[in-house]
Amino acid sequence: MVNVDTPSSLGRPRGNPRVLYPLLDWDREVLVLGIESTAHTFGVGVASTKPPYILSSVRDTYRPEKGGIHPREAAGHHARVAPEVLAEALRVAGISMNDVDAVAVALGPGLGPCLRVGATIARGLAAYYGKPLVPVNHAIAHIEVGRLYTGLQDPVILYVSGGNTMVAAFAKKRYRVFGETLDVALGNLLDTFARDAGLAPPYIVEGLHVVDKCAEEATEPADLPYVVKGMDVSFSGLLTAALRAWQHARSKAEKASICLGLREIAYGAAVEVAERGLAHTKKNAVLLTGGVAASPILREKIGIMASYHSANAGWPPPPIAGDNGAMIAWVGLLNYLAEITINIDESFVRQRWRPDEVEVPWR
Amino acid sequence: MEITKELKPIHRGAEAYLYLIDWFGKKAILKHRLPKKYRHSKLDTLLRRRRTVAEVRAIKEALRIGVMVPAIYYVDPIEAIIVMEYLPYPSLSGIIEGGDLEKAIRASEQVGRYAAKLHEEGISHGDLTTSNVLVGDHVYLIDFGLASLHSTERDNAVDVHLFLRSLESTHPEHVDTVFRAFLDGYRSIRGEKTEKILGLVEEIRLMGRYKAERRTLWGQQ
Repeated sequence: MVNVDTPSSLGRPRGNPRVLYPLLDWDREVLVLGIESTAHTFGVGVASTKPPYILSSVRDTYRPEKGGIHPREAAGHHARVAPEVLAEALRVAGISMNDVDAVAVALGPGLGPCLRVGATIARGLAAYYGKPLVPVNHAIAHIEVGRLYTGLQDPVILYVSGGNTMVAAFAKKRYRVFGETLDVALGNLLDTFARDAGLAPPYIVEGLHVVDKCAEEATEPADLPYVVKGMDVSFSGLLTAALRAWQHARSKAEKASICLGLREIAYGAAVEVAERGLAHTKKNAVLLTGGVAASPILREKIGIMASYHSANAGWPPPPIAGDNGAMIAWVGLLNYLAEITINIDESFVRQRWRPDEVEVPWR
Repeated sequence: MEITKELKPIHRGAEAYLYLIDWFGKKAILKHRLPKKYRHSKLDTLLRRRRTVAEVRAIKEALRIGVMVPAIYYVDPIEAIIVMEYLPYPSLSGIIEGGDLEKAIRASEQVGRYAAKLHEEGISHGDLTTSNVLVGDHVYLIDFGLASLHSTERDNAVDVHLFLRSLESTHPEHVDTVFRAFLDGYRSIRGEKTEKILGLVEEIRLMGRYKAERRTLWGQQ
């Protein structure tokens, strides 16, 4: 199913690029097309140096009927929906390919077969229309579009999604990863539990994850393993213990308490490592982003944590927090203004491309 | 906790506040693990209690095997409070910054021996950085808040890795000499086992986030 976002559906970004990126030239009018295909979402967006900055964001998410994401099937999905998503993104932005100054693509991190679909399309567009190709790191795209929408100048970032769980902060020209999951990502934990416990699909009901829904009935959380190692979290033991407890649960109340225990431990551990990052870096803001940032419960917890440190907390609207093409277009724009492009014959995908490998020239 | 309301913390960590108090005529450190409203109250109470008890146990074990640590004066697991000896000494990190390299090397060798003794007993410190080493007439290890009493070889390697990383991030120019002293101390207790732990340290450094760092620090260029 195609999701179409326009400047009015996304709301006005709170950040001012001239303040966020004083080193770049914001007087030039530049348009960049961005392509996202790192995991289950194929998205295309258009970004501009002029307000409202994000002109369109169109995406189509692969939803398997059962089981998790099969990379090859997700790649097949992306190839099928790509022409329609691309055409719609240009139509909503009110431009044609000829108006675009550069084509940006998320070259990683992500699933190989999925990444190759986006990269192939981006290379083709760049070559056919004679536009420069701009490489974008997917994690940095989440961070920068989050800064654009929240206006937070220098936050500690908690990036939580189906495939990523990390605490990062800017220091010495890079987004440094201070803590991360040692095994399963937060979104993957919730989804895998929901699926194996028979609660999903669908994973989201009335804006809440089914694990959050199931937890609503409970008062006491079940006692499950809570693992924080320094700045890192580990969720694999929690997943196994929760599923084992679920098999032995007899009543609905018992099941609800397992959901609550799982949710509280998973969110609690993620917020705790973000708090450690905040105390360690002494920054004054926290940015929550990634697909799991849509959770109102996690947002509330982040807000409480930030208040302990007199810090601001912010999160972009869900269609911008989750995977989308607009964020790739936005960082593509920043890279293009900073004169970072890549030759087509060197534009390999990088499945394990970490944000701290990328030097950030625009801050 | 009533008494902490009157006090001003001397250190505000993410998890706990430290207060300097008078304990029957002696200066003492009161460590209070703060309640966190972002966690369910039952989980929060349980975690703070468990961590307080685990910290005291690790300190007690360390003392038993001859590792210098602050003496424990009082524990209240319900309120998550530990009162312990105040050690008015500079940290190893401060010594290195102050430029007394000789002293830093001697202290670092002792830290290596301490770490090895702990590891031999299945204890890992969990946050073995140069800030958590105090240097007076003796060398002291502090902050056992993340210690484990049932550590694996990998946990031990994490200790070694954390010590090395803290040297690299704050004192890159002295990494080689200071870390070599640490390893001399470690090897003097653990002998051949040291190489196995170093192999695991290398594995940790090559995993994900650490892979871009320097790979040959202990001389096998």
